[in-house]
Amino acid sequence: MRRTIRLYRRLLGAQVRATLEYEADFWIMSLSAVLVQGIGVVFLWAIFESIPEINGWRFWEVVLIYAFVVISEGLSTLFTQGAWTLAVTVNFGQLDALLMRPFPPLLQVLSSEVGFNGLGNLVLGIGLVAAAVRHVDFTWSPGRIALGVILVIAAAGVKIGLNLLTNCAAFWLRSPYSMFAFSMHTFGELARFPITIYGLGVRIAITAVLPYAFMSYFPAAAVLSDGTARLLGLLTPLVAIYCLWLGATAFRLGLSRYESSGH
Amino acid sequence: MKVAAALEARPLPADTRMRHLRAYRSMARTGLKSLLAYQTSFLFGMLASTFGALSMLYLWRSVLSAGPRHGFDWPQMKAYLLVAFVAGSLVSSYTDYRMANRIKQGDVAIDLVRPVDYQWSRFAESLGVAAYEAGTAVVVALGAAALLGGVPLPDPDTFGLFVVSALLVFPLRFGIVYMSGLLVFWTQNYVGLQAARIALITLFSGALVPLVFLPEWIQVASAYLPFAGMASTPALLYSGSLGGGAAATAVLVQAVWSAGLWLLARGMWSAACRKLTIHGG
Repeated sequence: MRRTIRLYRRLLGAQVRATLEYEADFWIMSLSAVLVQGIGVVFLWAIFESIPEINGWRFWEVVLIYAFVVISEGLSTLFTQGAWTLAVTVNFGQLDALLMRPFPPLLQVLSSEVGFNGLGNLVLGIGLVAAAVRHVDFTWSPGRIALGVILVIAAAGVKIGLNLLTNCAAFWLRSPYSMFAFSMHTFGELARFPITIYGLGVRIAITAVLPYAFMSYFPAAAVLSDGTARLLGLLTPLVAIYCLWLGATAFRLGLSRYESSGH
Repeated sequence: MKVAAALEARPLPADTRMRHLRAYRSMARTGLKSLLAYQTSFLFGMLASTFGALSMLYLWRSVLSAGPRHGFDWPQMKAYLLVAFVAGSLVSSYTDYRMANRIKQGDVAIDLVRPVDYQWSRFAESLGVAAYEAGTAVVVALGAAALLGGVPLPDPDTFGLFVVSALLVFPLRFGIVYMSGLLVFWTQNYVGLQAARIALITLFSGALVPLVFLPEWIQVASAYLPFAGMASTPALLYSGSLGGGAAATAVLVQAVWSAGLWLLARGMWSAACRKLTIHGG
């Protein structure tokens, strides 16, 4: 286990150094992430300018949901961006090399890229949380803070698991583009808002089929202790384990039908 | 580059001009064909933007259930968002991505020695692709409209202007997308630039939220920048929120910016060519 963590860190570290060779890239990626997510907040603000609450959720509470998305996104791009390389790796038959090395192929794939836009996301996300907790009806206690930290990490686990799961479609689709995973990622973005605004079908899909709602809406409800959604939110760590298991299983199944590219 | 510049400088004999026109026409066809070759990927991309539009529609339905805001009621907002969605689908899936790759890998060297104009070539390709993008987006928009209980028909008074305005979306979007693709000559990175460009256009074109909901300075800036013409203007004309002199002015601004962006892009291209480094030989 220690060896695994150490190697993962080393592999990721190599990517960090490689990426930092192009300093401009680093800045472009980080700043564009802040811009993209920042504009999302401007948009939220514009909506709440004209209405005090949506289905019982006030501005700063929705900002908290949004911050959960931004942070999960940040952690998953910083540490497991490699999932998005699967399409190219499989299509070009580059997985062969990974299979020869004495380290789990899944971890090699996940650590094969580092997304510095994740850093921009993290900075902005933490800023949003800091601003939001000052405005929401919220009493501080050590238990509350611990719960919050656990839920943020679990939410990132949900996102990472689902990213892996959807990117594993590459084994079946065999296209060099990760458009399927990307479209599911945009589906996940629906969880930036309280999911009660959607129709029943969407709500079921985002809670039970691809549980992106556990990346933001439910854990945020748990932190704010809001009704029944709160109870579901406390299950976020379990959902995270389930999603990671789904992703790993999809990878295992995909690997068993991987047959390199024609030579 | 020298060749291309020389060709442009003097008026072409009529048969050469015909030959060029034929070349651009077949480029438009090729653009469309290469999109169709990766149709699955394109359709998943379309699905992605559909999810985006869907979340906006649901959100606004909740917001406007309490009554109209800033002059928008729910049926009007539905129409506005769906027109903006179709407008936003144009020149979104091929042009810049392919340009950026060819610039990064040095293949652009081949484009430089071709006896056709680079900008017109990309324009032709994008036009071929846009036909398909628009077709698919209209089908999706009609589906969404059916799902959400229909949308009102376009306002008959401004229908003519709406058509002109909708057609002008293409050169505007092409101009911005083309120029952001050219930026790769300087940055070498495109993923970040593309994300930033999409975010900026989304905000300033009023694609997610009509500009009247935004702070005053953004409204003023957008009215003079090319962005409003990329979604807001046609969408407002469709939903009948823009009439009279304001409508004509907005369409005029679109037309002026279409030409302006084209010339700006020309300038940027010649600066980029001086900057170009191709590795290997």
